[in-house]
Amino acid sequence: MNATENRVTKLVQKEYEHGFTTELETDTLPPGLSEETIRQISARKNEPEWLLEARLKAYRHWLNMSDPEWAHVKHPPIDYQAISYYSAPKKRGKGPKSLDEVDPALIAAYHKLGIPLQEQKALAGVAVDAVFDSVSIATTFREPLAKAGVIFCSFSEAVQDHPDLVRSYFGSVVPYTDNYYACLNAAVFSDGTFVYIPKGVRCPMELSTYFRINEANTGQFERTLIVAEAGSYVSYLEGCTAPKRDDNQLHAAVVELVALADARIKYSTVQNWYPGDAEGRGGIYNFVTKRGDCRGDRSHISWTQVETGSAITWKYPSCILRGDGARGEFYSVAVTRGSQQADTGTKMIHMGRNTKSTIVSKGISAGLGQNTYRGLVRMTPKAENARNHTQCDSLLIGDKCGAHTFPYIEVKNPSAKVEHEATTSRIGDDQLFYCRQRGLSEENAVSMIVNGFCKEVFRELPMEFAVEAQKLLDLTLEGAVG
Amino acid sequence: MITAAQQSDWLLHHLSQSAGNLPGRGLAWLENLRREAARSVAQLPVLNRKQESWRYTSIDSLLQQRFITAGADIGGLENLDISRWMLPGLDAYRLVLVNGRCLPSPASSADLPEGVVLGSLRTALATDPDRLSAWFVRNSGRSDNLFTALNSALINDGALLHVGTDVVLDKPIEILHLHLGHERPLLVQPRNLLVLEPGSGVTLVERAIGADSSAAFHNHLTEIYLSAGASLDHYRLQDENQRSHHLCTLFLSQQEQSRYRGTHLSFGGVWARTDCHALLQQPGGECEINGLYTVGDEQLKDIHLRVHHAAPRCTSRERFKGILHGEGRAVFDGHIIVDRGAQGSDAQLRNDNLMLTRSAEVDTKPQLEIYADDVKCSHGTTVGEVDPAQLFYLRSRGIDKAQALSMLSLGFAAEISNGIRLNALRSYLAQRLARKLGGQTDASGMDSGNV
Amino acid sequence: MLSIKELRVSIEQKSILNGLNLEIGSGEVHAIMGPNGSGKSTLSQVLAGREDYLVSGGEVLFDGLDLLALETEERAHAGLFLGMQYPVELPGVNNMTFIRESLNALRRARGEPELDAADFLRRVREQAQLVGLDQALLKRGVNEGFSGGEKKRNEILQMAMLQPKLAILDETDSGLDIDALRVIAGGVNGLRAADRSIIVITHYQRLLDYIEPDRVHVLVGGRIVRSGDKQLALELEQRGYGWLDEAAA
Repeated sequence: MNATENRVTKLVQKEYEHGFTTELETDTLPPGLSEETIRQISARKNEPEWLLEARLKAYRHWLNMSDPEWAHVKHPPIDYQAISYYSAPKKRGKGPKSLDEVDPALIAAYHKLGIPLQEQKALAGVAVDAVFDSVSIATTFREPLAKAGVIFCSFSEAVQDHPDLVRSYFGSVVPYTDNYYACLNAAVFSDGTFVYIPKGVRCPMELSTYFRINEANTGQFERTLIVAEAGSYVSYLEGCTAPKRDDNQLHAAVVELVALADARIKYSTVQNWYPGDAEGRGGIYNFVTKRGDCRGDRSHISWTQVETGSAITWKYPSCILRGDGARGEFYSVAVTRGSQQADTGTKMIHMGRNTKSTIVSKGISAGLGQNTYRGLVRMTPKAENARNHTQCDSLLIGDKCGAHTFPYIEVKNPSAKVEHEATTSRIGDDQLFYCRQRGLSEENAVSMIVNGFCKEVFRELPMEFAVEAQKLLDLTLEGAVG
Repeated sequence: MITAAQQSDWLLHHLSQSAGNLPGRGLAWLENLRREAARSVAQLPVLNRKQESWRYTSIDSLLQQRFITAGADIGGLENLDISRWMLPGLDAYRLVLVNGRCLPSPASSADLPEGVVLGSLRTALATDPDRLSAWFVRNSGRSDNLFTALNSALINDGALLHVGTDVVLDKPIEILHLHLGHERPLLVQPRNLLVLEPGSGVTLVERAIGADSSAAFHNHLTEIYLSAGASLDHYRLQDENQRSHHLCTLFLSQQEQSRYRGTHLSFGGVWARTDCHALLQQPGGECEINGLYTVGDEQLKDIHLRVHHAAPRCTSRERFKGILHGEGRAVFDGHIIVDRGAQGSDAQLRNDNLMLTRSAEVDTKPQLEIYADDVKCSHGTTVGEVDPAQLFYLRSRGIDKAQALSMLSLGFAAEISNGIRLNALRSYLAQRLARKLGGQTDASGMDSGNV
Repeated sequence: MLSIKELRVSIEQKSILNGLNLEIGSGEVHAIMGPNGSGKSTLSQVLAGREDYLVSGGEVLFDGLDLLALETEERAHAGLFLGMQYPVELPGVNNMTFIRESLNALRRARGEPELDAADFLRRVREQAQLVGLDQALLKRGVNEGFSGGEKKRNEILQMAMLQPKLAILDETDSGLDIDALRVIAGGVNGLRAADRSIIVITHYQRLLDYIEPDRVHVLVGGRIVRSGDKQLALELEQRGYGWLDEAAA
């Protein structure tokens, strides 16, 4: 490594910003997983019988499954009995949730994360559902949304208030049999967000969920379900952080999206879970199943993700392009530094005629980070005139990291056209020299080059998030360049 | 999906029926190699979809067949007229194998330059076993799947080429693998060894063809060692009959500044697989592997490349093109690995597929695995049909559809065929492609609304 | 303005500059000419602080500062600008943003306030027009997909924006047609000022028809072997460099 690289490497060693913990009284289940655990979670949520049955069915199936081994990641086996599957801040009162009843310590915690929950202080035009450990603690702007007919609430509330909607879509995109972690989630999920956009409605504001893991030794298993009826539109954002702890914590979420004819769902993620320390101690295992079903003709689902946190990221936000003319998009920036590992990408399953998908993946590896793009593009025999374009670029910073690209392309229809391109590069000495000659500091130069590299993805993010993502990337790479 | 038991039954069946009559009894290293291979049966991975490199390839139908081991006897073949099988118009040194056994050297090889050995592995086992042992020992531990184990356990004969230091051959070498039918399906397993000493250079044409339409399983294993500065221009043409299964496992290891340029052409067989493992072991090696495959009805072409940059400043270029018609299927699995410390690596991987019919299918998987930062690596792949605008253009000039498709397909293949430096092979290929595509595209289901 | 004394530089144990001396006064334009491999580009890269070179001897004073002790960006802050022979591409990095960041970095280093956005915009558009750079290129990635001529214009635009005390133009004429050359030379001439020195490194006399130098130096074998007025450039054009080799030996 030359001198420039050394300095650049130092640039990317920045401390994690959101590592604080919040002291609260909590209702936490003891560690362990059994049918009894599941019954207790279900009871705490006062769930209907069918949902408990669905959980138990998933649990019994899960017992016969084994951890997936195909991903390009390494971790010691997870002891599922050592995890607590439910932890919630103790409620101050009963009845309908209002912000006044939320523990001020919680509001303060979110404030510290830059997410004010008081509506008058909130970002204009962004409604927030705040999920703390296993439960949703507050959802803002419910009134104006309700006027538009939009349902935006915690998953638990939806089960109580809109049972038919939940029941008809729950598990219809990601069945419990799908994979090991999705199956576990189906058994033990605690809370999450439910969104329903009625026919022809353009959701009047951005919706967002902010996930926070606080309690030690707990897993977070949330479940998000978004249904966009014909001709509707919604833009949804999620953010995530967690305290610094020496143990690994499991986050195994499931996200299901359903878009009916001409509906559009834009789903953006800025994932900044605690990544572990420089030696690879601690950090979140982010094992997430996200899938969108473009059920209707001309429906359109876009996934945009900026993945900077987590010790291990394992996620493949996917689109099933069922309707004719449906579109799927995946824009991703994944950063691994320190000892972080990411195995992420997407699946685009083309079933309808004239379906179109776009994949843009930008991987940045620094330190000992290992960054893998894994993607599947499948053109089924009926996908007449389907199109896919994939661009996977890797940027390597330092000589001890890795960047890997594992695309799978399956074409069973000759009229389909698939193009896949991938490149690997590093920040050139000549690029740094050029910037510094013009007076920019090395740090500034690196940040500019990295942001330039990620530009195609950032411009897909809603404005407020694009700025946050860019800042996050700067922080993440501060001291990392090498 | 096959099971471990089925797989090991199949292997044991073929091992047991061929145990006797192998050459080199008493050579400890060879006995050891065979024994290790046979012993590995229990540990071998089951070749089903769960194995990454067998994900798109089912060998169930192959394992339902039982073959009889070929090559015990070549009596009566001394007078076989092989001239009609040779590549026309190629002035070359030649070696002919029939069903995996070498025929006595043809006259053309009598005038080989000094320092060059071209002949039978079986013969060399009798005359020069010590030298062979040095090369074979390097291969230890490579029986990592059912088919490499099967080949190693039954090493019998194959082509041996040894080119001495600084010898650069004035003419190409042609090695012909000819299949002559038998009343029962044959298992043909040549074990080929090509060793190029420092500074040597050879152009080699290997052709695998069949004399009739009888079934067989050709399980080739070829090892190539390129010493420092050696250069091999390697053409491989696989064109066996429609009842043949063909697997060529190729291990290539390259030393400093050596150069491998492979052109792999595959047209025949019901299943034809290439498993190519290239190891760039020393700095400055260059490895270029080009390929062209066609698949028609009932055919599966199965290309697997693993190019491993284990040393700094090596260059690799992999470029494969496929033309699919009828109910053909192609699998392309290219994998470039750049080790930590292999700085200055420059690797490019490309796979392009042209689909001429509705029922063809392609599964392609171009992969990069990179552990060094100062590298230039890229891969690209495309799958698509003939551009309707191009087709229309040709037809508007009065060229009929079949002819136009054939022309466009040949144009698609030109990137590979133009890189062939032997005129005789290039014109053979042009004819072969024209015959294959001309005849096939006509009959294929191109009547869909898209074209 | 710039004073180079006995500068010795090598790269990978190969010595390139062997005791180079050069004095440039304020407001002067100097041309450095020389055959391929004589060390012209090395000199410009070393002055700008490229790290691949090893400086084994000599000193460089820039406006009284020990130039060699400064980081690359500190030299830029001090007012040194290098117009590069091969400007690199910065994919996705917006050209306008880049120029604004550079300008503000310089201003911050000098304790000046940052330029406000409207002011900057007006100025950059004005200057782009002067150097004949298509406005659309301001919105693209820095040099990304630019032609050779566009890259050079972009360099001169940056020079005009950054207003350096010393500009080193390394083979700015290479790859330009005569019209482009005229425009670029016009841009450079427009920047001539009493408090700004310019070093023009070139292979050919052609550029010097447009940018008239006060002094011409010939660099051969890592040293200045001859200096003179602009007549020297004409002489070189006619006689080549061969006769100087002998003179140097």
